[in-house]
Amino acid sequence: MPCRALHPTTVLAMTAVVTLPIGRAEERLPEQIDRIIEAACQRDGTKVAATSDDAEFVRRLYLDLVGVVPTAEETKAFLEDSSCDKRSQLVDTLLDRPEFALQMARVFDAILIERRIATIPSYDVEGSRWRDWLAASFRQNKPWDDLVREMLAGDGTDETNGAAAKFYLVRDVEPHLVARDVGRLMLGTDLQCAQCHDDPRIEAYRQADYYGQYAFVSRLKHFRDDEKKLNFVAERAEGDVSFTSAFTGMEGKTNPQLPGSEMIADPPLVEDKEYKIKPEKGRMGVPSYSRRARLAEFLPRRETRGFSRNIANRIWAVMLGRGLVHPLDMHHPDNPPSHPELLQRLAERLEHTDYDIPRLLRDIALTRTYQRSSRLPCAGKESCVPDASRFAVAALRPLSPEQLGWSVLQVTGRLPSRIERAEREMKEEDASPADLRWQVHKKVYGDLQRELEPLFTVFSRLPGQPDNGFQPSVDQALFLLNSEQMIKFMNESVLLDRLSRLDKPDELADELYLAVLSRRPTDEERAEETELVKGACDQEQRHEVVRQIVWGQLLSAEFRLNH
Amino acid sequence: MQRPGHDRPTNRHLSRRTMLQGTVGGALGLARMGHATLSARAAAPASPRKKLLLLFLSGGASQLETFDPKPDSKYGGPFRSIATSLPGVQIGELLPHTAKIMHRLAVIRSVNTGETSHFRGHYLLQSGRKVPGYPVLGSAVAKMLERPDDLLPGYVTMRRHHPQAYTDVGDAGFLGPKYEGVMIIDGNPPANIARPEAINAATASARDGIRQRSDARFLKGRAPEAIKSYSDSYRKADALMRRQDIFDLEQESAADRERYGDHHFGRNCLLARRLLEAGVNCVKVAHHDWDAHFENFHWQRQRCLEFDRTFVTLLDDFQDRGLLDETLVVIMGEMGRTPRINYYGGRDHWGDAWSMAFAGCGIKPGVVLGKTNDLGTEVVDGQVDAGDLFNTILVAMKLDPTATWRLGGRENPVADPAASVIKEVLA
Repeated sequence: MPCRALHPTTVLAMTAVVTLPIGRAEERLPEQIDRIIEAACQRDGTKVAATSDDAEFVRRLYLDLVGVVPTAEETKAFLEDSSCDKRSQLVDTLLDRPEFALQMARVFDAILIERRIATIPSYDVEGSRWRDWLAASFRQNKPWDDLVREMLAGDGTDETNGAAAKFYLVRDVEPHLVARDVGRLMLGTDLQCAQCHDDPRIEAYRQADYYGQYAFVSRLKHFRDDEKKLNFVAERAEGDVSFTSAFTGMEGKTNPQLPGSEMIADPPLVEDKEYKIKPEKGRMGVPSYSRRARLAEFLPRRETRGFSRNIANRIWAVMLGRGLVHPLDMHHPDNPPSHPELLQRLAERLEHTDYDIPRLLRDIALTRTYQRSSRLPCAGKESCVPDASRFAVAALRPLSPEQLGWSVLQVTGRLPSRIERAEREMKEEDASPADLRWQVHKKVYGDLQRELEPLFTVFSRLPGQPDNGFQPSVDQALFLLNSEQMIKFMNESVLLDRLSRLDKPDELADELYLAVLSRRPTDEERAEETELVKGACDQEQRHEVVRQIVWGQLLSAEFRLNH
Repeated sequence: MQRPGHDRPTNRHLSRRTMLQGTVGGALGLARMGHATLSARAAAPASPRKKLLLLFLSGGASQLETFDPKPDSKYGGPFRSIATSLPGVQIGELLPHTAKIMHRLAVIRSVNTGETSHFRGHYLLQSGRKVPGYPVLGSAVAKMLERPDDLLPGYVTMRRHHPQAYTDVGDAGFLGPKYEGVMIIDGNPPANIARPEAINAATASARDGIRQRSDARFLKGRAPEAIKSYSDSYRKADALMRRQDIFDLEQESAADRERYGDHHFGRNCLLARRLLEAGVNCVKVAHHDWDAHFENFHWQRQRCLEFDRTFVTLLDDFQDRGLLDETLVVIMGEMGRTPRINYYGGRDHWGDAWSMAFAGCGIKPGVVLGKTNDLGTEVVDGQVDAGDLFNTILVAMKLDPTATWRLGGRENPVADPAASVIKEVLA
């Protein structure tokens, strides 16, 4: 059936009923996004790229929403699907898959923990427990403000949300570090320089702002229950904050205060009633009045300056590879958003939907802006590469360590074959189909995680550092070329066995490209593969040639990048 | 009361600030930044490039048993002090070889960092900052010296495998993983540097052909930056695989291995010589186990025994080979040790008054800067802190400490603008 080009949201409007209130009823968010982005491009004469082809789209969407490239079958099915709304259908299908929650757990693990390792790793919540908590949160579609509240309020003792205390524990419950990262990751402002003096470069960041934020957490410290080998976030009932400027010598004193909000006074301390549970050797104290509880209460609200904007900007960056405000933790007047109205719309959308992250991801996925090709509009000329902040061409973004690792296991066939096996083995269990699918994926991804840890380590950015774009390093290249892990992945590859049994060269080339690069080969590529395989005179040699091709393609920029 | 722990203005700082306030008044902050808009990338390194060798005494060497002995004081400990090649200057008797070349060193006896945590101290002394996230010396200098056609790594760092090695990943800070030091642990070459037997040469070359052809096709019509920098990482990986020999100490003579000493530090120093000669710009060698909370005098003797001979051998070699004119050698740890001797005969963590030393390019030899009081409990003259050391190291290497890192839309001063250059030790 021929398919007329429709704006994806028009299709959506015809097929789905949207019941929740939206900022402007007459114009849906995806349309607003495209209008704002395209108007800006038009104003400064930036040409926008064509719409991605189906193969570009399917790979990109899988990577962004479920964290792994599609299997050859999934790609083929999508390419051959002739329905007009297949893109929006795929968005909904993927948002509904168990891997979506797992992928969001990885994305938010990277955002919130930033690859940190506690100074003493055993004094922290284990990574797997923390990611399980995140995944469970996304599976139940926990709103962002609730998630933040649980992270800030948790001292680690709560049974369901104990893992959330990792936000503090991985930072050694060091008040300065915690205060800085609360600002950077939850409000989008880095007050690092304000810590020692009023940053002369960024006047809006006042030292008093920093210490106001710091005062919420200055009484916190790490508590270790040596007997149970558990870690908690303890809080003292007393302790004031004062500061001195390194440049001017000016002094100040502050109580807890969020930027742009009122200062919060402590209730008077009553002697002998400072603590609900008095701290003793081996027992964690619980103060009668907790400044941290106030932080959890007051920060995750739309009234807090930067709270909605920060998460809106970060979600945009998850999908487009770059924030409207960039770097993501530098919201300040001298670094305005590339598209102020758009950031405002995204933030409002979150506020009106109770901070529903999947819904915002969906809106973005349906835009022309997200669906653009990475091919430049004026091919071949380097000078026509538009500025990244225009969002006129799909960015070439490196796969995250997790996207890369899981995609290698997807391509080589280990991941899908383990999922199939688990589905067979767990079929009998007493659970609904959706729950069963969740259990299967959680188990398989959990089991295989350990095999990928060495790869994750080599490909991770530096702890505590924001993502500075693509910095391929030599040790990463050496890992992909020579490591025992890569040899093992290739040796165990189901794909190689399957491909080397295919007799027809055309069929082989098609399958190979679909499996590794999520597209069909061009004629030139098909001819090249045929030529390479022709030289092989027996099954063993053929296997070796196929191994070279698959491995070579895994090393390619096309595989390494989300395009 | 909570106070920002780092607000410890020295006389040097105060006078500098007073001066600035006097001249630019209210616009103080902005004026201080005014000169720093030149990005580090634009600061062309002087030709030929200088090199950096950092010998890091990890755990914290005792200044009282090394460069600032107080043999007659109640905290002095059992060792004597000995005369050196500098008239009137004495150092601890545990460094007899170093004593003979004191006229070639610049020693600072008045370091006050106030930092007594190993972790924070390692970061502070190497980055010149308390605030986290900045690159350490090796990463910063490697980035400043970088040239587009470089194939070998700019920074190599050597330590042992041990949980208490104190530094690990993250040294490059906001410069990112590309500027992280290539890690030599227990003398082993970097991971995955050799092509394993499971991949024969023909396979490797066929595989590389596939990758290159694929990249050439993918590049057509797309923004080139990410694709090219990715291929570049393979080019550098290939260069490193071809130059595996630079990590192979077997290629050094048995005589040299003997001269440097058959221990970690000796082997690593010899490897450092090899790497610097091969064209690596920055090398850090950690010398471990100075953290003597128990039996300090036994341990300091053990450590000095290794350090003294190896260090002087290295300095002599560098001199003979002409390396010293272009290489700055920095000897420091993350802290010193308490003058007070504890119940176990140990000295504990101490940041208030301790020593470090320089040799090589840009340094005025034969200088001893600063003074501590008779007990060694306080700096009484020439106080410097970690930021001052960082600034001074850059200047000695002919690099501009007022340059800024322009990264991700922000300007970060390479060296702390509130710190100073220690002119007394510079040539």
